[in-house]
Amino acid sequence: MALLEEDHAFEIADAVLAASEADETEVAIHCVEDRFVRFGHEGPTQSADRERYDLAVRVRFRDGGGFREAKASSGSLDEASVLDALGRAEILARVASPDPGAVPLDGAVEVEGTAPSRPTQDHSFKEKAEWIEAALRRCESEGLHGGGLARTTVASRSLINSAGRRVHGATSRAEFALTCADGGADAETVGGSASSASVRCFVDQVDVEGVIEDAVTSAVRARDPEDVEASPMDVLLEPQAVAALMTFTSGMGFGARGFHEGSSFLTGRVGERLFAEGISISDDPTHPDLRGLRFDGEGTPRGAHALVSSGTAHGPVTDASWAHQLGLPNTGHSQAQPSTDGPSAGHLVVAEGDLSREELLERLGDGLLVRQLHYVNVVEPRELVLTGMTRGGVFRVKDGVVGGAIGNLRFTQSLVEALGAVDGVGDRATRVGSLMGGELVAPSLLIRGFQFTSKARS
Amino acid sequence: MVNPTVKTNPAHSMEALARSAVDEAMSRGADAADARIVRCAEERLVIQNGALKESDAPEDFGIAVRVFKDGAIGFAAAPGPYPAMQNAVSGLVRRCLASARDLAPLRRVPVRLAGRADACGEYATPVEEDPFTVSLEEKLDLLMRASERLGGRREIVSRLAGMSLRREEQWMATSDGGSTHQVLVRSGGRIEAIARARGVVERRSYPNALEGDFRSGGFEVVRALDLEGNAERVRDEAIALCHADVCPPGQRTLILGGGQLALQIHESVGHPTELDRVLGEERDLAGGSFAAATDPGSLEYGSECVSFVADSTVAGGLDTRGWDDDGVPSGRFDLVRDGRLRAFQSGRVSAGRAGAESSRSVSRAEGWYAPPIDRITNVSLAPGHGSLDELLADTEDGAILADTIKTWSIDQERRNFQFTCEVGWEIRGGRRSRLLRLPTYQGSTLDFWKRCDRVAGPEEWRLWGVVNCGKGNPMQIAEMSHGAAPARFRGVQFVDVGSKLS
Repeated sequence: MALLEEDHAFEIADAVLAASEADETEVAIHCVEDRFVRFGHEGPTQSADRERYDLAVRVRFRDGGGFREAKASSGSLDEASVLDALGRAEILARVASPDPGAVPLDGAVEVEGTAPSRPTQDHSFKEKAEWIEAALRRCESEGLHGGGLARTTVASRSLINSAGRRVHGATSRAEFALTCADGGADAETVGGSASSASVRCFVDQVDVEGVIEDAVTSAVRARDPEDVEASPMDVLLEPQAVAALMTFTSGMGFGARGFHEGSSFLTGRVGERLFAEGISISDDPTHPDLRGLRFDGEGTPRGAHALVSSGTAHGPVTDASWAHQLGLPNTGHSQAQPSTDGPSAGHLVVAEGDLSREELLERLGDGLLVRQLHYVNVVEPRELVLTGMTRGGVFRVKDGVVGGAIGNLRFTQSLVEALGAVDGVGDRATRVGSLMGGELVAPSLLIRGFQFTSKARS
Repeated sequence: MVNPTVKTNPAHSMEALARSAVDEAMSRGADAADARIVRCAEERLVIQNGALKESDAPEDFGIAVRVFKDGAIGFAAAPGPYPAMQNAVSGLVRRCLASARDLAPLRRVPVRLAGRADACGEYATPVEEDPFTVSLEEKLDLLMRASERLGGRREIVSRLAGMSLRREEQWMATSDGGSTHQVLVRSGGRIEAIARARGVVERRSYPNALEGDFRSGGFEVVRALDLEGNAERVRDEAIALCHADVCPPGQRTLILGGGQLALQIHESVGHPTELDRVLGEERDLAGGSFAAATDPGSLEYGSECVSFVADSTVAGGLDTRGWDDDGVPSGRFDLVRDGRLRAFQSGRVSAGRAGAESSRSVSRAEGWYAPPIDRITNVSLAPGHGSLDELLADTEDGAILADTIKTWSIDQERRNFQFTCEVGWEIRGGRRSRLLRLPTYQGSTLDFWKRCDRVAGPEEWRLWGVVNCGKGNPMQIAEMSHGAAPARFRGVQFVDVGSKLS
């Protein structure tokens, strides 16, 4: 199979290093094994049993106080292909204009090794078919159209450089996601619909039954939504909805580039109380629900890193170059280099609070319960003004009791203001993803005065 | 230069390998099969703040086998080089058939393929100047000159000039006897300035935001962009935006520039008319469509001056090619004519499910690694008449001209959308007057297109390339173009994005 053992990966990378004529060379090898089945209400629609490699060679030639630098990559790991990639990188680097801000590659480090999960790696199509059959039958029993994804992925990454850095690790991921809705073109506007997903590090942690029950019962409850005019309302956002908002803080919020350019909410506000006291955020690849690689895109070790403590913002996350430029410590948040995007916090964890779901609803009193937000995007980065739609079930809450569904609404809301208006944090955080990418760990949040600005069907 | 054509194996070996995979699948019991071998080479150069920050030359090469068995689909893929793919073929076929057999009992309705995939031939993007033979020194000089002209003002906190050049070669064999070979080349680039003043940070881009603008073609595409010639204007507009008022809310006439219209077409016409979305098979991630399978011929999509054409043969289109990834020849058809919906975009699988006799050739995969799904092809708004200046002169005071996407959001059934542009101008006396930032308009798809009362003419019409269209689960990225001339919409709602930002 595709994943390389550490020794094998280093052997391939060492051969590239030995052949390099550059002053500095970095070799990163990424391997993926992926199996998925996507399904609709008539059964599986797509599937894949696939593997891929990516070997990236970054070379640097000293020039004055900086480096001429370039990268090339190959999807094949045979000797001819990887040496060809090295050759392309060297050609590019020799004519590159020098980057005076480039800092030398860092050397040897110790990082904690991580291994792939064998049961996740070996999870078969037959086993995925059992998940899907159970979901389709349950949806059919309620007259719902089900669709979703069953997927298992294992990946490894190895990085060595000419300064002596040698790091290797592996990750595993398993997912079962179900969206169910009444059929027809208006399914999510006038009918009932809901989504649920279990994204875990290991396949035996995936809660298939829980996903099916959550999605189906929520979709049934979401039928016959009441038409409601958009206006500011108090909301209880479930973790999926929280993730759709928080994912935008990873790069443009907490990253050093936006901080430096002035487009981040952190600019000029480090050390200030930005959010409600109940909000604490960290970046933590060691979190048991994430289990990410323990090194970043430059091979720098990384662990739990506090971003916001009790509402007070700390400094931005950095990589080697931005740390040097801003005179800050390297926090180990580099993307694969070279990159113009700057560092990013890719393992966000919003800390749990102490309120149960029932307590959150009671504190909400009158408002809305929002399960999911869809197609969220940034209107303005400095205050992180976001817009998007509710999806998958929006329910009225009256006197702390969840009532009937309402139609989907659009919001246009500053995330900075919203996190300042948090009046309760749930006591159970879970790993969730969003349409715009990225996964994080988040609890439910009770937010006062959330700005809904229009409705799905006008 | 980094020329990806130098070490390509002889084409006949690839054809033979793809054919051998299909033959083995059929001999092992597949009902139908196809195989694609795809090799991609790219060169990306980005100058940021005067230094070369990204200089990347990725290559990717692999084989995908797809089988249809007992009403289900199996797909397996593995990377190159050629000997590795040759060794992998039998295993891929076995894995495809095994997964199809495991999944077949789940199919409530068997997969049926519409039409046949028996086309044979060669296709190559017309290229005037091979982008991989232009010297790196010349490319970097072009970008560096543009980058320098973006600077020189203290308000500019970030400036960027980049280009991307890509060559994709594909060999495909089908069990209907189809055998095709195509070489697709696309080129493009961008510049971007970010300014900060008065505590406001604003971005201005050219020729479009995000990755820029691209066309199928060679280095002549990059030269035609004239990045250097537009750099000072982009820089000055970025700075001016920091001092501009936020576009006020309320209901007014809106004129959209071509770049923004391309995104409007993409989100509110392209995606809702993908047949797999209409049939509910994208519901689990991106969503469905307000359009029903029975709507073609009856649904009033827009005003009478609104016609959309889907065309995978148009010169310069990013989805202009010989065949789609089902092996079906490219073509041109009306999506919407004179305001009325005429057809959906379909591949062989979705067309078969809808009971159609043939597909519309829109089935595409991201490289060799992903199974094909229905994708938007080149979808364009037909031009009307007159220049942009004539359109402005014909428009009342207080209207807004807006262009270049800044952010976009649309609901899961493609009705309610809200888009923010990089730049807007108030129209006074039939001309652009006050500059406005964050022009944000909101609407509902069918209502919005019915508010269109004039489209500028062919002299203003051009293709705009989209290189970042995400769809599918797991997500795949595809490219396509949208042609548009500026168009006018009456009574559009502008949104208050926050008076505290003013």
